[in-house]
Amino acid sequence: MATPATPLGRFWITYKESKVGVVALGVVAVILVVAILAPLIAPQDPYDLSRLSLMDARRAPGHIGTGGYTHLLGTDAQGRDLLSAILYGLRISAQMGLVAGIVGLSIGATLGISAAYIGGRTEALLMRTVDLQLSFPPILLALVLVALLGQGKAQLITALVAAQYAYFARTAYGAATAERRKDYIEAAYGTPLSRRRIVFRHLLPNCMPPLIVVATVQIANSIALEATLSFLGLGLPVTEPSLGMLISNGFKYMMSGRYWISVYPGIALIILIVSINLVGDRIRDQLNPRLRR
Amino acid sequence: MKLSRLLQAGVIALGLGTLSTIATAQTLTVGVRGGPESMDPHYSALGVHADAMKHIFDTLVWSGDNLQIEPGLAESWRSLDDTTWEFKLRKGVKFHDGSDFTAEDVKFSVERIPEVTGPTTVLIYVRRIKEVVIIDDHTVHMKTDGPAATLPNDFVRLFIVSHKAAKDYSTKETAAEGFNSGKAAVGTGPYKLVSWEPKGDLVLERFDGYWRGKGPWASVVRKEMPNDSSRLAALKAGQVDLINYVSSADWLSLKNDSKTDTFLADSVYVMNLQLDQRESTPKVYDLDGKVLAKNPLRDAKVREAIDLAIDREVMVDVVLEGLGRPARQVMPEGFFGSSEKVIARNYDPQRAKQLLADAGFPDGFKMDLYCTSDRLPGDGAICQGLGQMFAQVGIQTKVNAITRSVYFPAQAKREYSAFMNGWGTLTGEASYTLGSLAHSPAPDLKLGAFNRTDYKNPKVDELLQAAGKELDDAKRRALYEDAMERTMADRVYIPLVNLQAVWAGGKGKLKMTPRTDEDTLAFFITPAE
Amino acid sequence: MLGYFIQRCLQAILVMLVMSVIVFVGVYAIGNPMEVLIPPDAPQDVRNFIIARFGLDRPLWEQYLTFLGNVFVGDFGYSFVYNMPVLDLILSRLPSTLELALTAVLGAALIGVPLGVYAGYRPNAVSSHTIMSLSILGFSVPTFWVGLILILTFAVSLGWLPAGGRGETVTLWGVEWSFLTANGWSHLFLPAINLALFKMAMMIRLARAGTQEAMLTDTVKFARAAGLSEATIVLRHVLKLISIPIITVFGLELGSTLAFAVVTETIFSWPGLGKLIIDSITNLDRPVMVAYLILVALLFMTINLVIDLIYAALDPRLSRGGA
Repeated sequence: MATPATPLGRFWITYKESKVGVVALGVVAVILVVAILAPLIAPQDPYDLSRLSLMDARRAPGHIGTGGYTHLLGTDAQGRDLLSAILYGLRISAQMGLVAGIVGLSIGATLGISAAYIGGRTEALLMRTVDLQLSFPPILLALVLVALLGQGKAQLITALVAAQYAYFARTAYGAATAERRKDYIEAAYGTPLSRRRIVFRHLLPNCMPPLIVVATVQIANSIALEATLSFLGLGLPVTEPSLGMLISNGFKYMMSGRYWISVYPGIALIILIVSINLVGDRIRDQLNPRLRR
Repeated sequence: MKLSRLLQAGVIALGLGTLSTIATAQTLTVGVRGGPESMDPHYSALGVHADAMKHIFDTLVWSGDNLQIEPGLAESWRSLDDTTWEFKLRKGVKFHDGSDFTAEDVKFSVERIPEVTGPTTVLIYVRRIKEVVIIDDHTVHMKTDGPAATLPNDFVRLFIVSHKAAKDYSTKETAAEGFNSGKAAVGTGPYKLVSWEPKGDLVLERFDGYWRGKGPWASVVRKEMPNDSSRLAALKAGQVDLINYVSSADWLSLKNDSKTDTFLADSVYVMNLQLDQRESTPKVYDLDGKVLAKNPLRDAKVREAIDLAIDREVMVDVVLEGLGRPARQVMPEGFFGSSEKVIARNYDPQRAKQLLADAGFPDGFKMDLYCTSDRLPGDGAICQGLGQMFAQVGIQTKVNAITRSVYFPAQAKREYSAFMNGWGTLTGEASYTLGSLAHSPAPDLKLGAFNRTDYKNPKVDELLQAAGKELDDAKRRALYEDAMERTMADRVYIPLVNLQAVWAGGKGKLKMTPRTDEDTLAFFITPAE
Repeated sequence: MLGYFIQRCLQAILVMLVMSVIVFVGVYAIGNPMEVLIPPDAPQDVRNFIIARFGLDRPLWEQYLTFLGNVFVGDFGYSFVYNMPVLDLILSRLPSTLELALTAVLGAALIGVPLGVYAGYRPNAVSSHTIMSLSILGFSVPTFWVGLILILTFAVSLGWLPAGGRGETVTLWGVEWSFLTANGWSHLFLPAINLALFKMAMMIRLARAGTQEAMLTDTVKFARAAGLSEATIVLRHVLKLISIPIITVFGLELGSTLAFAVVTETIFSWPGLGKLIIDSITNLDRPVMVAYLILVALLFMTINLVIDLIYAALDPRLSRGGA
């Protein structure tokens, strides 16, 4: 078999050895596509109040509503089609996770690599701060931040990023310092080789693999954290429910047997998080050189 | 009135006396949504605080199941002149430590409030009092700063502490220690304090010398369980005998459950939509999303259209799953000052659209609607329901159901145009509600303190001012009813639903008369034989 | 070592100072706490009286300095909501949260570490895959969701265990504990499981990763070559090799469990710190928020310091470098 030329291709060859990993990746891909296409495939726009009817509220799965179509997963307390709400909720949850993950990654990687590159007092100060923050539980930080900043997507993302950037910073710093100590970089410091080149050609690429692993985990964590905050009543506004908010809204109907309002969004959330974690797990196993045979 | 009330109270006392002999030494365990904030009754005016305090302490004036005022520690009262009320105190009442209840305790209790009150302040109950004059051991005169027609109503949550026990525990620094440890928490109420933990359990033990008779339970435990589902689960698991505030989501299934009894009462809370009346208002937009220069909510046609767009039946049946009733006025029906003759509230979306077109908005407009989502049962859901109903007549509404800690400060700063929250007529009469909401803001008159809409109807102002000074009950009632009718017709305050509260207990285990003020008073809950 | 210790302490104080400023200013920014607490129907004169009484009419910096001055003599002020000193309030809730968190983390470690070691020792066995799948599930399913399902199943449907509350307590060292009575355990069980699942998944993964790496180390290779039994190798060498990360995580998780208990305590009506902090956030009970965060920061820094010291004890090479 010919070895593919690109690193990504080589990566895929090993990645696909794990069936679980492939399936999980497939699920994540499907969810992402569904989330992006939600407005096209959802039977209803769950945020358009003029499309909702209270007459359809809390109907069991299979009910044919005033809109003339079947609510496959039932409806919630506002008469929202749950399938649509879940599709849109996945969109919001995935969006929250991805944006928080990418912003956190950018900030964290910048801090970590800068610290490793600059060294000296800056390094000490930056990494001390990061370490201190790492020792503080992210949920508490997010909780306080959301309480202080108020409700809204931007505020929530800020809280999620603040709660998680430190993980990226630590990882990037670890990888970058390891690389920096290598002879060729030490040597490069002494040559007119541009600094940009050291950072972008050598430090950053070497930080990427562990950062990607952390990113997958953190995206999953962000999604779970957002859901938890929503459950505690400190997340997004109720009119644009994320999965966590749907679960939380539906919870009060569990005792009276209207399980679907809470259970289906819960299953969607779990599938999303589990598959992201499985993908992350697979990548981690693959990137751990000592476990590679 | 006085004699019949007295007899009535006597009958109640006797009736309970006999009941208590039937009852065996039992414990009543109640799962409550919220607990007290302190063991000092003068610390907080919160409903849940007063509910717990009524077990340990008594009030001069008692409010009955439907908030009608009855004799409590005061046997009778009358106004002597414009600024003096005379209260005759009940004789032979004992504190838990065996000492006698006298006028000294009343004066002491009123005077310690400014020293010990917390932010949810009890001061509002005594703010009209300038001086408490002791005439004899069982007579006091309350000097007020002006005619205070509703002073007795203000006293239904004014608890009387023992001036001997609380003497050393009546400053900001010492009150907490003295009362929370139980040293100063000596009242005349039906139960004695055993222990209390904030957000935890309140444990009480029967006071055998209670003046109304011996309570039906030897001990009472009130467990604080804020989560509705957890509270219900605790009832179903048999951990508690009774829970309050069953959520509307569980009510229907509980009502039909063979293992539980439910008790339903109208609450004092009415959900109101309020519409800003300033010349320009920040959160109403044209269809392109630009703030409208002229506030359309000042147009009576627009307000009527909004009113007609609301289907209150659906709001009750669907959003609240039956747990509430459509409201016509900002106070529960039958309260002092609510009127039979207020305008009807029909659901008529066609006419609403027509009215909007007449007002110059054939295609509607856009509006942000704000409301609390965590203060009262169903508030967020009702608000979202409103959004749907408005959307259907062409008012594109963005619903913002938010936490009360954001909502109330912003509402006070007048950041909203259309907003909804509940208002509880805690005193059971109109001065409290109309005086705060319907009068134009007039701090010097102590009226309109909660008017956040700039609503001003000179005739209503006039009626309310006259009513505040009128000491004759019948005349005062007529003035308030008139003010209510006019305010409702202006549709600046649009009442939506009157909430209801539900308690649940094990089937056939308890007898209780649910109270409008939503208190869960162990003394009046009896075991079913 | 001593210099390092002092440096860490100074750092801790700095962090707590910064934290208190942020929270102070932050809560002020969302609104005057009194707006939420004073009854809506209170007239302006009453309002002003109360605001002045709680010192909230003074400029923010002055309020902050007063607060700071009091903290240095151990007075965190009075709760706005509860009529008691904040410190008393927090200390009265601490044991129940501590009990719950300890039970959960200990349980998680006692079950999670052996499972993880097994999965790492036999990475390709079916049972290992099952363990790992379960751990991913435990990792992924949000705590609040598990809590709801536990209550519905064990308390409501089956009626085996109570749905919430703390149950009977016994006083030991002047503090009330649930774990000394059977009834207390029945109340402790579900919330502890709820809280433990996430930690357990973490312990499994950590122990597995550690074991997998340890099996490849020279130590294990030599031990095998020396003919030691597999059980001895795992119990003696592998466990020792993976102990450092596990202890770190144990310590950190104990701390974060105290914080994460917020969710579990809310669902199970557990009268701990978590419920207190959530309520103080919604009520803008600033003194409680500030004090809680400062104390949590203190707690975490203490835990970190202890972990570092244990590290040093376990691995003499680390004692010089500092962490």
